[in-house]
Amino acid sequence: MSFSVNRQRSLWWGLSLVVILSGLGAMAISWASLGSPLRLGLDFIGGTRLQFELACSAMQTCSQPIDIDAVRQVLNQQGLGNSSLQIIDQDGVSIRTVPLDVDQRTRLSDALAQKLGDFDPQKTQIETVGPTLGEEILRSGLLALLVSFIGITIYLTLRFQFDYACFALVALVHDVLLTTGVFAILGLVAGVEIDSLFIVALLTIIGFSVNDTVVIYDRVRETLKLNPDLGIKEVVDQAVVQTLGRSINTTLTTLLPLITIFIFGGDTLRYFALALIIGFTTGAYSSIFIASTLLAWWRDRQPPRPATNTLETTPTP
Amino acid sequence: MGKYRGWLIAILVLLMAATWVIVRTPARLGLDLRGGAQLTLQVQTTDKVPQITPQVLAAVQGVVQRRIDGLGVAEAVVQTAGDDKLLVQLPGVTDPEQAERILKGTAQLLFAAQKPGTETQLQIERQLQSQLLLEQAQLLAEQAQNANNPEAQKEIEAKLAKNRESLEKSQQAIASLFTPSDLTGAMLKEAFASPVAPGSPNWSVIVRFDSQGAELFAQLTKEIAGTGRSLGIFLDDRLISAPTVAVEYAETGIVGGSAEISGGFTAQSANDLAIQLQGGALPVPLEVVENRTVGASLGQDSIRDSLYAGLAGLVLVLIFMVAYYRLPGLIADIALILYAIFTYAAFLLFGVTLTLPGIAGFILSIGMAVDANVLIFERTREELRAGKTLYRSVESGFDRAFASILDSNVTTLIACAALFALGTGFVRGFAVTLAIGIGISMFTALTCSRTFLFYAISIPSLRKPNWFCPKLESLR
Repeated sequence: MSFSVNRQRSLWWGLSLVVILSGLGAMAISWASLGSPLRLGLDFIGGTRLQFELACSAMQTCSQPIDIDAVRQVLNQQGLGNSSLQIIDQDGVSIRTVPLDVDQRTRLSDALAQKLGDFDPQKTQIETVGPTLGEEILRSGLLALLVSFIGITIYLTLRFQFDYACFALVALVHDVLLTTGVFAILGLVAGVEIDSLFIVALLTIIGFSVNDTVVIYDRVRETLKLNPDLGIKEVVDQAVVQTLGRSINTTLTTLLPLITIFIFGGDTLRYFALALIIGFTTGAYSSIFIASTLLAWWRDRQPPRPATNTLETTPTP
Repeated sequence: MGKYRGWLIAILVLLMAATWVIVRTPARLGLDLRGGAQLTLQVQTTDKVPQITPQVLAAVQGVVQRRIDGLGVAEAVVQTAGDDKLLVQLPGVTDPEQAERILKGTAQLLFAAQKPGTETQLQIERQLQSQLLLEQAQLLAEQAQNANNPEAQKEIEAKLAKNRESLEKSQQAIASLFTPSDLTGAMLKEAFASPVAPGSPNWSVIVRFDSQGAELFAQLTKEIAGTGRSLGIFLDDRLISAPTVAVEYAETGIVGGSAEISGGFTAQSANDLAIQLQGGALPVPLEVVENRTVGASLGQDSIRDSLYAGLAGLVLVLIFMVAYYRLPGLIADIALILYAIFTYAAFLLFGVTLTLPGIAGFILSIGMAVDANVLIFERTREELRAGKTLYRSVESGFDRAFASILDSNVTTLIACAALFALGTGFVRGFAVTLAIGIGISMFTALTCSRTFLFYAISIPSLRKPNWFCPKLESLR
């Protein structure tokens, strides 16, 4: 056997630890500066996001691009000075404010139309989420995460054994931590916000990543049955190598459409695809290098089962 | 071999059925793709209504439904969401300003006595109103039919606006024929539908007032009893019922705070009126807690981009499979295309509303659907390398990979179930599309590719181990 995951396990564990710790560090910095470990989007903290595009844009007759200062001025007049805004393709503008009710919103869009010219209603986007609803979305999302962790652990305990399930869970937590860590860093560096789709992505990552682990465990169980005398380390090494082709290919075929969505897809799905790309990649990594080596390490430490029912003597300290 | 022929025919029949479904059924696009407004309304509790029970929510839903109908938006949908929320979908609406305004107020239920000498006038006005409502329904149906014709759309919209204006006028005209009383919905204790006699097809609506309401109701009914003038019941300024009061109540009015509105009700129409009355009796304010509005062309842009991106990804997967797994890869590709067709047909069949995240889930499931085949083919290669015959290798490839495939799909389904149970709106849509995809992928990856593969190796000229595992000889 030329390749052994167990031989360099401290390397794999260390690698994961470094990435996770830097992610946790980013979360701590976010917590200090933003009040939450990740940059939460509209969906979770509430607010209004308006996106307009000038009507002249479709005919390409706009005399000049939208002046960001003019928009800022209108916002200041409406008492919304600390909103964030962004010009999109010269003739479009995206504004993010505190939650606005229908009167405030209409007043703002009217004032903007007066200053900048008419907007194309077919290109308008309005998103308002009340703060209480945002909290609810966040809470139910986290609950869904917890429930699926528990569900998967129970299923794996039934199909395999409890320690298998535990290490699969460790691998899952690893993937979730790593993905959120990367997004915490992205939030700090590039201002990337997380929305409901991020939670969906995490749950999909869990479902997918546990697949990889299950396939390896399946092979471990099978090899153990065929060669009961083999050491657990060797068994795990063999299982990993035998399933390596499958793990890489499946991850690749799943990543291909995601990468195309990330590059060519619409804005809404871009970060969703990115979260899945990161999660699936780490999912494959954690199954091959973390869940398997942990299992070998744990079983190796266990005293070998006594062949007969002899009484064990308790060691004296 | 005969066994596989049977399966082949079955798969072919399924394919034809799926194609038929796809050709015949139009896709149901979510508002984020076709453009429109989606509002989430939260029912607020008050001192009088400290808890939102399902009955309260149903009554409020009735009120909201009627107000939305008044807007004249084609295919508008009002549904309950969770314990205290209502979801309002307004396709094609680019600024839900009007809807938000009319939804925010609480329902106003008013009782009024008809003015003397206006009987014929009321009859004419009510006839006119029902004509206008009929016209509106026709226009809305027309609008839905001509969804892809912008010119006709404009014309219909103009007609609808005119119709709405006339309706408004007729409403005012009707209201001017009544003298409002002090009796309001706040004094109404309950309203429910009940058959006139047990088992009778004729139904009536029973109303009960509190003590103050009972007194006012007695006064009001005494005034009009036996005159042929009617008792106008207005909900949000619109006349929803105009019963007359029989002559025997002329002396005292209807006392006891309880009355029965009867006359030509079916179970359905009696229930509708009861819900309207209940809704009017509910002084609960509504708050718009969520508003997601997307312009139609913005939605079309994102659907196009994502669809192209997904298709590009799919083509790459197909190429990869053939390049890496050769003949089995080609068969997996056929199974994959079948998977895409079957899954899409299933979406249409189950009436799944396609949203952008839903499409993402679909594309994702295509990538995942290959997993089962990858597992099987890797296993087949291993067995070939171990020196087994081609037939035996393929067979044990399928048999041995099955446990892994089942386990991995069940765990994904667990995550799907959690998403569905605890998510809302589009999150659920994503979970459903992913779950349907997993179910169908089990069928296509196992049954379909198994059938094709065994059929292929039953043909001698295709029975070449090298087409299954390149460089096999050098490995042995």
